[in-house]
Amino acid sequence: MQDIILEMKDIEKTFPGVKALDRVNFTLRSGQIHALLGENGAGKSTLIKVLTGVHRMDAGTILFEGKSIRPTSPMDAQRQGISTVYQEVNLCPNLTVAENIFIGRQPMRRGQIDWKTINRRAHELMLRMGMDIDVTLPLATYPIAIQQMASIARAVDINARILILDEPTSSLDENEVRNLFSVMRELKNQGMGIIFITHFLDQVYAVSDQLTVLRNGRLVGEYTAQEIGKLELVTAMIGKDINEIYNLQKAQPGEDAKAVLDAQNIGIPGKVENISLQVKEGELVGFAGLLGSGRTETAEMLFGVTHAAQGSISMHGEVLALKTPLDAIRKKMAFCPEDRKRDGIIADLSVRENIALAVQATRGFLHPLPQKEQQELADKYIQLLSIATPDADKKVGELSGGNQQKVILARWMATNPDLMILDEPTRGIDVGAKAEIQRLMLEMCHEGRSVIFISSEIDEIIRCSNRIIVMRDLAKAAEMDGSACTQADILAIIANEGTKEEAV
Amino acid sequence: MPENKTMTIASGRRMRNLLTNPKYLMVYATIGIFLLIYLFGALLYGGRGFTSVRTFMLFFSDNAYIGISAVGMTLVLITGGIDLSVAAVASLTGMIIAYGTTVLGIHPLVCIGAALLVGVGLGALMGACIQYLNVPPFITTLTGMFFARGVCSLISRESISIKHPLIDALAGFKIYLTWPNAQGEWVKIKPVASIDLNTIAFILMIVIGTIILQKTRFGRNVYAIGGNEQSATLMGLPVSRTKVLVYAFNGLCSVLAGISYVLYVKSGWNLSLQGAELDVISACVIGGVMLSGGVGYMFGTLFGVLLKATIPAIITFNGSMNSWWAKIFTSVLLLLFIIIQRAVIASSQWVKKKE
Repeated sequence: MQDIILEMKDIEKTFPGVKALDRVNFTLRSGQIHALLGENGAGKSTLIKVLTGVHRMDAGTILFEGKSIRPTSPMDAQRQGISTVYQEVNLCPNLTVAENIFIGRQPMRRGQIDWKTINRRAHELMLRMGMDIDVTLPLATYPIAIQQMASIARAVDINARILILDEPTSSLDENEVRNLFSVMRELKNQGMGIIFITHFLDQVYAVSDQLTVLRNGRLVGEYTAQEIGKLELVTAMIGKDINEIYNLQKAQPGEDAKAVLDAQNIGIPGKVENISLQVKEGELVGFAGLLGSGRTETAEMLFGVTHAAQGSISMHGEVLALKTPLDAIRKKMAFCPEDRKRDGIIADLSVRENIALAVQATRGFLHPLPQKEQQELADKYIQLLSIATPDADKKVGELSGGNQQKVILARWMATNPDLMILDEPTRGIDVGAKAEIQRLMLEMCHEGRSVIFISSEIDEIIRCSNRIIVMRDLAKAAEMDGSACTQADILAIIANEGTKEEAV
Repeated sequence: MPENKTMTIASGRRMRNLLTNPKYLMVYATIGIFLLIYLFGALLYGGRGFTSVRTFMLFFSDNAYIGISAVGMTLVLITGGIDLSVAAVASLTGMIIAYGTTVLGIHPLVCIGAALLVGVGLGALMGACIQYLNVPPFITTLTGMFFARGVCSLISRESISIKHPLIDALAGFKIYLTWPNAQGEWVKIKPVASIDLNTIAFILMIVIGTIILQKTRFGRNVYAIGGNEQSATLMGLPVSRTKVLVYAFNGLCSVLAGISYVLYVKSGWNLSLQGAELDVISACVIGGVMLSGGVGYMFGTLFGVLLKATIPAIITFNGSMNSWWAKIFTSVLLLLFIIIQRAVIASSQWVKKKE
């Protein structure tokens, strides 16, 4: 058995109205990757924030390498050897990659920052993570995966004993995840203790040694990765049988259902080209494909975010000239964008205001929605979607990821759309909330609305879709029947192994 | 020698990087446009002495107070803040020195000390309000501006001229530029050009500002805060301390600018430098400092100030144009730079998307 480097005992933390942590224990050994699991609101984040000094615990002890510590700030925790890499890349986009790794503890030479050493060492560090890049370019010039690696490089170079990875994989593609895992394994072999938080259960099994499950602020149990199966694990996390929540009924559009949306050969030269698709009333069409395969670009064209230079889009048989999203909203379309933090929610507005936003937009600013109607609207959807918020006036930014997603969903459902486009609505949210979002989508279909569902997770696409469009290299690669295809079929097309071009 | 070869490659890469790195684009634009406008002036009025060293040196000495203040402002703008109080604090400095020296008969150095205390103190106070009370910088420094102007008028509502040997000596200090003539003797160049204290102070402040921004942790933290304040906090950087210090430093620069202005006009007046804060801010923006924070170079600010100085010079040399045209040209320039900034941002995002 390796040495215990961290022992958190009987940690308690209460926020106004909520007991966030209730006598939670957590033990980490050196050379161990320890997954911390639980639904949103289970207390994972709070536990990590207590450990990193963002929050002060109300009771309990933290033993770090045998000594009792009480970190007072992330800086303090970092100094003691506890580093955190957050889900969102918390680096500065305007600084170079190298500087992001070293800022705050730059090597100095004769009283001045030693840029040469910084750039050289940063390049070495990135190289060790399998990234041969120019570290003197601003961070913003690189994709998220590289930014993430830079933040890990930063965390690791502090000579951390404990590395906390909070949802590091939610915006990475498969290759990038594999790369991250090999970095994690190498760090583990060097004797670091890694706390890994993720919603992807496959990843938990791929890389973790030990699992700790929290639920409602309480410790459910600690397991080794070998001793607990996936189903058991999910049951432990949500406290319910998995089959209960995944008991989903696919939409069943009638044989003669009319086409709601009909896009013919739409495209923007150089971005996506020649995409045709039809969505029928009450149908759920899934968009599979890798990040950057043209899924989002297609959705944005359909919604008028970008202007389709070629082809035609018609809805209910009427050809549309979409110039702005507002045109699309008026034609009863709705769109939940991919990056909810950036394009979706307005974090500083309340739940009520966020929900009323799209309805307000269709009315125009001269016809403000009365406060009372806003309130009714918000209350209705908070209840309907079971959004976990104390009241409608809470700022959306303070809700958990899954609940933020539901607020966006509510915003668009409130406009009563005929066609709803959801781009990665389930990314970064937990199993329970995922299933709920999927259930809501299917309920919309049962009501006769149509849904376009974009996701990187093929199993959920298969679980929900009537038809599946597979995108590859900025073009439509295939269209498949949702009830008669398997994950392997789709993967083959994404990987360009199959030869069927337009299999129906 | 293989070692030598890798070194050449490395320095070659560094050169290329220096030329193509998007973060320097704005500064290049500023320098380029400065050269263009200077060339324009040279072509039109070169014969009348526009290109003389004397005219060039006047760009510095006539605008030293703007330049000195712009050094502090650059730091403030890079953090993503703004400071509207600089001109009022500079004016207050003038009033303190003028009233103290002329009316109360206090030694100017004591007055300068008092002004430094007031300026730095007010700056730190405003920084603290911005950081700890979360008051937007615009409002906080607007309040500071009103306060400083108010105190100016409280001291006196009349222009007070300053007559003190020390001030006269400082204002009169000049290093004449010389060059060897045919006989090998050093003689003054013609037309006579000199470096005065204001010019030295201006250039020195630009150098100090550059060192602070590029060579110290404090300076890099300033960039980090402007890039993403929340990230800077999570990265464990001393955000609060840095921000308060930035405003305090800007207060210091305002006082120095005020002293510079006193040496320039040798008087204090409660209504002096009205609106000069906007000249300072626009010089920074023309120099490539982004109002959204995180981007800017001291070198750019230097050229921003020079560029702003060139336009009125051209108007003066023209002789027949109304001097208000300078404002109009400056506004056109400002607009141009804001458009360039947007284009730079858009193109860098485009690069990102492509990758």
